[in-house]
Amino acid sequence: MSGVKLEKIVKCYGDIEVVHGIDLEVAPQEFVVLVGPSGCGKSTTLRMVAGLEEITTGDLTIDGRHVNHVAPKDRDVAMVFQNYALYPHLNVGENMAFGLRIRKESKENIEKQVSEVAEILGLTEYLERCPADLSGGQRQRVAMGRAIVRHPKVFLFDEPLSNLDAKLRTQMRAEIKRLHKRLGVTSIYVTHDQVEAMTLADRIVVMCDGRIEQVGTPMQLFNHPNNIFVASFIGSPPMNQIEAEIDVQDGKLFAKFGEHSLRLSDSKELGTDCQGHKVVLGIRPEHIMTEADAESSPIPFDIDLIETLGSEALIHSEFMGKPFVVKAETHGDIKHLEELKAFHFKPGMIKVFDAETGNAIDHPDNA
Amino acid sequence: MNDFQNKVGWFYRHVKREWQIYLMLVPTVLWFILFLYKPMYGLQIAFKDYSIFRGIEASPWVGLEHFYTLFSSDQFIRAIWNTLIISLLSLVFGFPVPIILALMFNEILNQKFKKAAQTIVYLPHFISTVIIAGIVITAFSPSSGIVNLLLSKIGIDPIYFLTKPEWFRPIFIGSGIWQEAGFSSIVFLAAMAGVNPSLYESAVVDGASRWQMMWKITIPCILPTILIMLIIKIGNLLEVGFELIILLYQPATYETADVISTYIYRQGLVGAQYDLAAAAGLFNAVVAFILVMTANTISRRYSRTSLW
Repeated sequence: MSGVKLEKIVKCYGDIEVVHGIDLEVAPQEFVVLVGPSGCGKSTTLRMVAGLEEITTGDLTIDGRHVNHVAPKDRDVAMVFQNYALYPHLNVGENMAFGLRIRKESKENIEKQVSEVAEILGLTEYLERCPADLSGGQRQRVAMGRAIVRHPKVFLFDEPLSNLDAKLRTQMRAEIKRLHKRLGVTSIYVTHDQVEAMTLADRIVVMCDGRIEQVGTPMQLFNHPNNIFVASFIGSPPMNQIEAEIDVQDGKLFAKFGEHSLRLSDSKELGTDCQGHKVVLGIRPEHIMTEADAESSPIPFDIDLIETLGSEALIHSEFMGKPFVVKAETHGDIKHLEELKAFHFKPGMIKVFDAETGNAIDHPDNA
Repeated sequence: MNDFQNKVGWFYRHVKREWQIYLMLVPTVLWFILFLYKPMYGLQIAFKDYSIFRGIEASPWVGLEHFYTLFSSDQFIRAIWNTLIISLLSLVFGFPVPIILALMFNEILNQKFKKAAQTIVYLPHFISTVIIAGIVITAFSPSSGIVNLLLSKIGIDPIYFLTKPEWFRPIFIGSGIWQEAGFSSIVFLAAMAGVNPSLYESAVVDGASRWQMMWKITIPCILPTILIMLIIKIGNLLEVGFELIILLYQPATYETADVISTYIYRQGLVGAQYDLAAAAGLFNAVVAFILVMTANTISRRYSRTSLW
């Protein structure tokens, strides 16, 4: 099994640099998800790995082989596209066999491969159908089948689920995950959907403006985002942000915002000589309590809107001029939530970011 | 009655709401009425002994007499054959050229070269037929034409191309291709522009060469357009470019050059036999109609593509 290594990969279109020197190592059999907002360079990066875009500078190796100037077909990668890229004039079986036919494999081998993969994907009964007669989910499955029959070293997925409806997306997500477990092929997956990234990835690569912001397992990114961007991108709804100032009292650190003050744990990075240092406090909506707690003082707020999700509800309000979301359990009813007048921060769950650089304070990666 | 009133009411409301669209439709509808439907009234002279002095109404009915006359005329039978031969040859040689041109343009990577080449092949379309005929006559002139000049360089005596029946069809069809192939390729280029680019990308990753992509992606994807254009062409099979023939032919080449439309022109307008010409024209239209219907039905049955 083969890994993929990107070293200082840069992509320019004319004078405009869109990917600024990316370093990433994907281990054999690993499932890595590139995630980020539109235009962050994730698809471009994937297309460079596929060979559909030229690499301006930097080195790309697949399975230890330098492939910068190797044609896409000789890189032994297979790609699944957002809009399926199925040939409308070929039926499902022919679509899946296309790559093998181009490679002039024997007829028996092609038939064997196609029927095996069709079996795995549950497409056997659709082999004679044309793509136009399939549902979105089936089409996406055919597109994956076409990639799988070739037994490539690396799978590349370019937002494969974006065209599906929410229910189908959840279903296909699970199918992709199962398939990866079964086949164990190194996979690079691009999406803008952080839920997809969290559920599928062994490791997530968060990108923004052509740079990698953070690489880590889903839980690492969720629990220890190394900057405000990652903190706000990972997790749904995003992390709440409160602008605050550090206040040092008797060698202890407090964050002051408005009339409120919050005790922070000691910081190696800030030390004790940081009076007035501007920070941003990050608090996840699920780390805010609606019930009183002995350690923290209540912070009053006005409810703007309650979105009921079933077992949970999102309480929208405004705090210090910024939107603020609290996730609370409904216990089968939202009446008690409507009556809420204040909330409490769960101690120890507050992330502190430097307001100037946006970097997390005391983050292991930033040390 | 109530149902009818409902429908009228619905139509009135519909027109009131969408009047801009109907307004845009008006010129085309007027054009159709004035130039295609109103003349249909005059078609009855094909079944009358028409005289311009008596007028359409007063001319006596003669049944199918003009059709008997036409089909017993060697000239008319010859014109039908010539029409069919010229049309079929134009179709066989002329139809694939724009597709091939479009495929070639599609493969040109240098955008400047592509644009220049496209402009050059589109240009002849905008030249008037009279000038095209002038160019053809000049080019094939036995004394000063470039074709004979080149032939003389390799030791061949000048040929009087335009007076030789065997040369008429190649020259006519060739000049037609030269004039229209470029412009007709636009339709196919547009169809190619509509092919999903990720099909090509996916094929690149799968290892297809440019040649394979052309055969396995581009051509199958534009096949519906090709079929539609083919149906239209077949429908027009009997409508040979009449002006160019009038301008190029002469009695010496009638043998291969005289087609139904030129026959109608000579009989009707030059010979003032309006009724006979109307009968010939009606025959032409009926055959064309049958051809379109047949082509459309076949295409719908075998390729799911059809004009209607």
